[in-house]
Amino acid sequence: MPYDASETMDVRGVTLRRDPAREACFVIAHHETEVRSERNYDSVGAVRSMLHREYNNETQNAEIAAQTLVDFPDAPWELRMQLARQVWDETRHARMFLRRVIAMGGKKGESPIKNGDWAIVCMIDTLPGRLLVQHRLFEGGVMDSFRQVGKGFRDNGDDETADMLDTILADEIQHVRFANHWLREFAKQPRAVMQMANALTFVSNVFKALTPKPGETSIDGVDLAAVDHAIQINIEDRQRAGFTEAELADLIHRDATENLSQLGS
Amino acid sequence: MRLSVRDRGESVATLRWIHVRLMETLAAWVPTTPEMEVKLLFGAHIWDVAQHADALGKRTFELRMPLQHSLEPNDPYKQLLAELAQVTDTSQRIAGFYDGVLVALANRYRSYLSVTDSLLDAPTVRIFEHVASEQARMIREAHELVAQLPALAANDGAAKQFVERESALETFVAPRAEPATVGAS
Repeated sequence: MPYDASETMDVRGVTLRRDPAREACFVIAHHETEVRSERNYDSVGAVRSMLHREYNNETQNAEIAAQTLVDFPDAPWELRMQLARQVWDETRHARMFLRRVIAMGGKKGESPIKNGDWAIVCMIDTLPGRLLVQHRLFEGGVMDSFRQVGKGFRDNGDDETADMLDTILADEIQHVRFANHWLREFAKQPRAVMQMANALTFVSNVFKALTPKPGETSIDGVDLAAVDHAIQINIEDRQRAGFTEAELADLIHRDATENLSQLGS
Repeated sequence: MRLSVRDRGESVATLRWIHVRLMETLAAWVPTTPEMEVKLLFGAHIWDVAQHADALGKRTFELRMPLQHSLEPNDPYKQLLAELAQVTDTSQRIAGFYDGVLVALANRYRSYLSVTDSLLDAPTVRIFEHVASEQARMIREAHELVAQLPALAANDGAAKQFVERESALETFVAPRAEPATVGAS
């Protein structure tokens, strides 16, 4: 599934999928330096920006699942049904986030958005690779971050947003779970394993190219290279999503190693 | 006219093909529709149409066909759906899908229900009645959205033209001598 130049864009030397369609009210960013990054639960502006960002992220997730239906018409019907259900879930999540933004006095398009997940995932032209990156890697990470962010809202007295995040988190478990099921099926074929490995290599290279450099800041002044990205692994929900004990042990080990290396740097 | 088991199977399997194609059309429109509210509506309805295709595909197995069996419709019907899939304007997409193809399908269900034996073919009747009810809800949701966002209201000429062209076709089922063997997709 080669993409021609009209379907791709260059971001810091990396070829990524061109943005999905957005209305004129949105400012489209392509790097962390072009969006807001402050995470401060006491600031209405920062909270609205976080929620607005998730509004667009959930929309992207719907778009990725929909595009996967289009790109892989020969996928097993059960998987296509699961992807179709996922699209609906993600559209509801997007609406939930926008509802919170509006309830806090905000509006659609009020802060820049970035379609990074779409740009990366939709460059992957194999079904095993795409499921691995979108569902197991990205949405698996969302399971960790949403639990942590939900706790942040709860600790700051915003139970409504915390409950919303917990509802979305429960849905995400299903998405990761069905992907894990299919990835285990696909992994029985050596070709699919190669496709997964290629997808991981691609994503690793993209992350290297896009990681903020020392001194780079977001538009709201956050020193991006200094941000602590450590997130506690959400073991219980990852177990529900089909991660094995060995896989979780690997994640915990990697997490601990990264924390140690950050302490040493 | 009495419908045979094969007649019923061919209608159901062809409608399954049509619903899979409609699911794919909505899926292609989700990333390419700029208006977020419409994008999210199309996304939600992907799941509805997928469930309709799935229910039809389970019924094919009960009519001596493989599970989730699809049969391509006749060429004029395929052409109509192909033209719809190529529409790029958002208001025309809404009009073509909800006031065009879903309205035309509702007419097809009514036509089928008027000729089939409701006892002999009761499981199909239940499915068609359920799908028709669900698709009426989808049309209602689209109209509610357009009422909120009047800029999306389209001249309904294209939708009317679709329904007229569709209703001019005697059937959507392709003629075939023997049952075809198109697999699930």
